[in-house]
Amino acid sequence: MSNINGKVYAMNVITPMKPWKTGLLRILFFALWHIKPMQKDLINLSFIEFARWVIVPRRSFPFLAQGQVPEDLQYDYLLFFSNFNGTWNQYIDAFSSVLSRGLNLIWRWSEKFPGSVPITPFKEYIAQVQFDTDYYYTAYPYAAANDLKAAHIVQSSLDQLAAQAQTSTPQQFAEAYLQFVVRVQTHLGNTGEAPVVS
Amino acid sequence: MPNQNGKVYGLTILSPIIDDEQVTPSHDLQIRNYLAQLPIDEQSPFALAPGTHLARLVVMDDVIYVGMPACEEHLKSKYLIFESNCDGDLTSYLTGLAATIPEHLNAIWIHCVGYPGTTNLQAFLNYMKSCQIDTTFFFAAVNDKSVPETLRALQTQHAVADFIANHQGTDPTLLQSDFIQLLADLKSMPLQKAGAMAPDRDLKTGGRNE
Repeated sequence: MSNINGKVYAMNVITPMKPWKTGLLRILFFALWHIKPMQKDLINLSFIEFARWVIVPRRSFPFLAQGQVPEDLQYDYLLFFSNFNGTWNQYIDAFSSVLSRGLNLIWRWSEKFPGSVPITPFKEYIAQVQFDTDYYYTAYPYAAANDLKAAHIVQSSLDQLAAQAQTSTPQQFAEAYLQFVVRVQTHLGNTGEAPVVS
Repeated sequence: MPNQNGKVYGLTILSPIIDDEQVTPSHDLQIRNYLAQLPIDEQSPFALAPGTHLARLVVMDDVIYVGMPACEEHLKSKYLIFESNCDGDLTSYLTGLAATIPEHLNAIWIHCVGYPGTTNLQAFLNYMKSCQIDTTFFFAAVNDKSVPETLRALQTQHAVADFIANHQGTDPTLLQSDFIQLLADLKSMPLQKAGAMAPDRDLKTGGRNE
């Protein structure tokens, strides 16, 4: 299953959009990019490592001559690539229940998008417009997005404690160490093989 | 706009695949066959080359028809999609790929229209950039750490968890000296290889939830 590597799932989705709607979607993405509170729900979906939307205008498919036939399309296309932890069903369910308003704003410009609620037509639509990954690589297949965030918290906390370790008395160090343990104790979850899911 | 999010670059490349009905198997199938036997672990080309967090290669056969009343249309070419979440700026990243894994790049992209190979670096960079599509919106859960920094942090997390578990109630003097030793061990420890599966830790857990 090349859509999956370790704890990450690669999703590819392509949907057609009428060209006049593309400008509206670009404005929406511009706002989403610059107004950080609008990204709150996306950030709170803490099982997404990386995700991107790419608008490909109908006349912007790479054309390199040398016998290539130029594209002749009526629609612009919206590509969506996501790298998430968990199963396809968990991901779509969470998207639908947590991000439904945001998703509707993004995909409502795509042809025949049924809305992200109710869930059944939404899943049918995603299944229809998804295509599979041929090769998928991750530098850390044993870690989920939350593991990455946790590991960086542990690292920075350790660096702070390390600065005190050489200069403090054992008693001072023991107190600082206790504070360190309190700070990192919720960020020590185990990494490793992903659980088998069906 | 946002190909870059913090320190992470979101690269999207669409390379048209050669359409030659005289060739058997077809170029797209040859790409798929090659990708199917490419390792995805620490032997992956993207593990050997620097700077890739996650990457995928996908043969896109066609656009998808979503049904009436939408118009049905088709692509004239199939496209190889290269989607990468990588460190640094684009030129450095592509240069690193060309320098480290030219044989893989050439074996894959030789099936794409106009691919010049990696021997002429400038031609290679120009080709890749001419196939790039700007990312419209790019989200990264962690956008301020490089691949080595992340691998180091995961290694540290692992070691710290073991250290804490093994030093409960330890005398302060011993605790401090062992901690200094832990720092030295971490510093001298070789970095976990990118793409490799980390060893499982034997968690000593207990309680009602087990």
